[in-house]
Amino acid sequence: MTKGQELEIKNKYTGEVIDTIQADTPESLRDKIKKVHKNQYLLKEMDFFERAQLLSKYAGKMRFKKKKLKDLVVAEGGLPIKYSDWELNIVLTGFRFCDWYYQFIEDKPLTGIEGEKNVIIKYIPHGLSACISPRNTPISLPLYQMGANYLVGNGAVVKPSTACPLTMLEAYSTMKEMDFPGLDALDLVIAPGEWAVDEFLKSPLVKIIMTVTSSHTAKDILVRYGRMLKKTADKSMGVTMYTQPFKQFFFECAGNDAGIVMDDINLEKVAKWNAMASYTNSGQQCFSMKRIIVHQDIYDEYTECLIKEIEKLKYGDPTDPTVDIGPLGSRRILMMMDVMVADAKEYGVKIYTGGEKIDTGEDYGLFYTPTLVEIKPELCEDLSKAPFLWREEAFGPVRSITKAKDMKDAIRLANASNYGMRAVVYTSNLNNIEVFKNQLEAANIYINARPMLVDITVSLGGIKDSAYPAGCKYYPQELVYGKFIYDGTPLNLEKIK
Amino acid sequence: MLDEELTSQIIDKEGYKTEIAKKYTTFLAQYPEIFSDLISGSIFDFALYESVETYYKESPVDIFNVLRNGKGIEIKPGGAVDSDLELALSVRAVKKLIQTKSKVEYAELCGSFYNDPDDEKGWVDFVLHKRTQIIIDMGYGKFAQTSGILNDYDDINTI
Repeated sequence: MTKGQELEIKNKYTGEVIDTIQADTPESLRDKIKKVHKNQYLLKEMDFFERAQLLSKYAGKMRFKKKKLKDLVVAEGGLPIKYSDWELNIVLTGFRFCDWYYQFIEDKPLTGIEGEKNVIIKYIPHGLSACISPRNTPISLPLYQMGANYLVGNGAVVKPSTACPLTMLEAYSTMKEMDFPGLDALDLVIAPGEWAVDEFLKSPLVKIIMTVTSSHTAKDILVRYGRMLKKTADKSMGVTMYTQPFKQFFFECAGNDAGIVMDDINLEKVAKWNAMASYTNSGQQCFSMKRIIVHQDIYDEYTECLIKEIEKLKYGDPTDPTVDIGPLGSRRILMMMDVMVADAKEYGVKIYTGGEKIDTGEDYGLFYTPTLVEIKPELCEDLSKAPFLWREEAFGPVRSITKAKDMKDAIRLANASNYGMRAVVYTSNLNNIEVFKNQLEAANIYINARPMLVDITVSLGGIKDSAYPAGCKYYPQELVYGKFIYDGTPLNLEKIK
Repeated sequence: MLDEELTSQIIDKEGYKTEIAKKYTTFLAQYPEIFSDLISGSIFDFALYESVETYYKESPVDIFNVLRNGKGIEIKPGGAVDSDLELALSVRAVKKLIQTKSKVEYAELCGSFYNDPDDEKGWVDFVLHKRTQIIIDMGYGKFAQTSGILNDYDDINTI
């Protein structure tokens, strides 16, 4: 796509053109940044709770558009209709109850050693945020980005994926219909990442770059930022000085989540949850359970249960309410699944089920059958030599399963990864639970949890290559900075008069 | 307290503007256990609307409130002075809800009206009047589950 041309949005299953929209040009993108920056004061005219109430009301209004929104999510995103409800509810629930996030950004008075309460930490919005969203979530992530910025008082320019921008455009138009207060401090940009990111990086008005993307793309953004900074180097005073101020970067990246299944659980029940956690949205989820690690004593029996559940999954037309697996988001994902399985075969692995692609030869209707690959534990000893499927995120319906000797071995295998978004454990041994909580290397640990939770407490973030900065996080926390204020007036006023 | 111990009381039966509200209060009074997760003192409004439009204009055709007291529930016409939240329902939804034959059937239908709102078929919504944390602490989250409003995605797939 070149700069500013018309953009055809295609149905991911049929290839039919759903809509043709005008994409942004670099000029129109810059104008939007300026407009949003200029209007950020509108957000400051409201307090947190007013903005929270407006977002909550907006979520209520959006619910009445659910059918239209779900149809769009299915058509442009390829998500199965049964999953599209989750995609909408996760973000609308967050909006509905968004005042809950106040606890993370409310003023924190501090008491000194002598009992004086002279210090307060206040949380201040960073300023204009440029947000980049991925193709696997046509609405939840871009709308989260927009809403979180609005909530804390930052203007935001949100760039949904050019593969599926229609749902977000509809979400934005609902705000317009409502005459949403402060809407001029929010906007959407329809542009490919190749040049839009550079525009965001170049603009001095943009204070935050917030992306949900692969770890490698996130690092590429930093490389581009570094190159851009280098161009601003001033050596006239004999030392290198960079004139461009710092930007804040918040990257929500890939996950290669381990899911540990111990020998003290109901195999059938956990296998059901496992299949859901691993293959929902065709496995195109950063938090999907990707590396399944199973205690050796139940390995064979559990694998059999899991295969049964996987083979129940129906793939096909995503509008069919009985379909579990919709088309893949892009040819690139199909190729990646193919490459990962081919690479795994080089290691002599066993393909328990799946391993077939359905390729229409077009950029739609692409499927990879839900696949389970056995990776022997000895292949994971040296991460640099481990199968690609183990090392990197399989952003599609291919999952690995590995045998662990015991709890210690399961934890070792789970931690043998460059990623650390989530780790999942199923065990009924109460003594072991604390060990898992403490020793698993991930920012989010789920013990005996239902998959696909919809709850305001569900956090994002990761460690290692899964997020930057590291840690579990709620978006509003990331969009403000702490301001330390020491007010010695009550103690010292007389002394300085 | 066990569910079956809860009592219900409808105050001022003639105070309702509409027949549908009267019927709905009589119906709810049969199932005070729906409210068992709410802490004593929680109070909220049931507002009935003809359409989504009137909902947006905040013009209910009728409104009553339910107080969870120590013994059970007390239903009164009109909005409460300091209600925790408003449960908004379309009249079409209420007409169908009062036809249900059990608490489970009621919750399922209520959930479908919340999850797939439609002005023709019926809808359920809510507006919080207090902060989310307070509402959660009062037991409304559990109440929403019992009423079928909060989703559980265990059955999202065949899995």
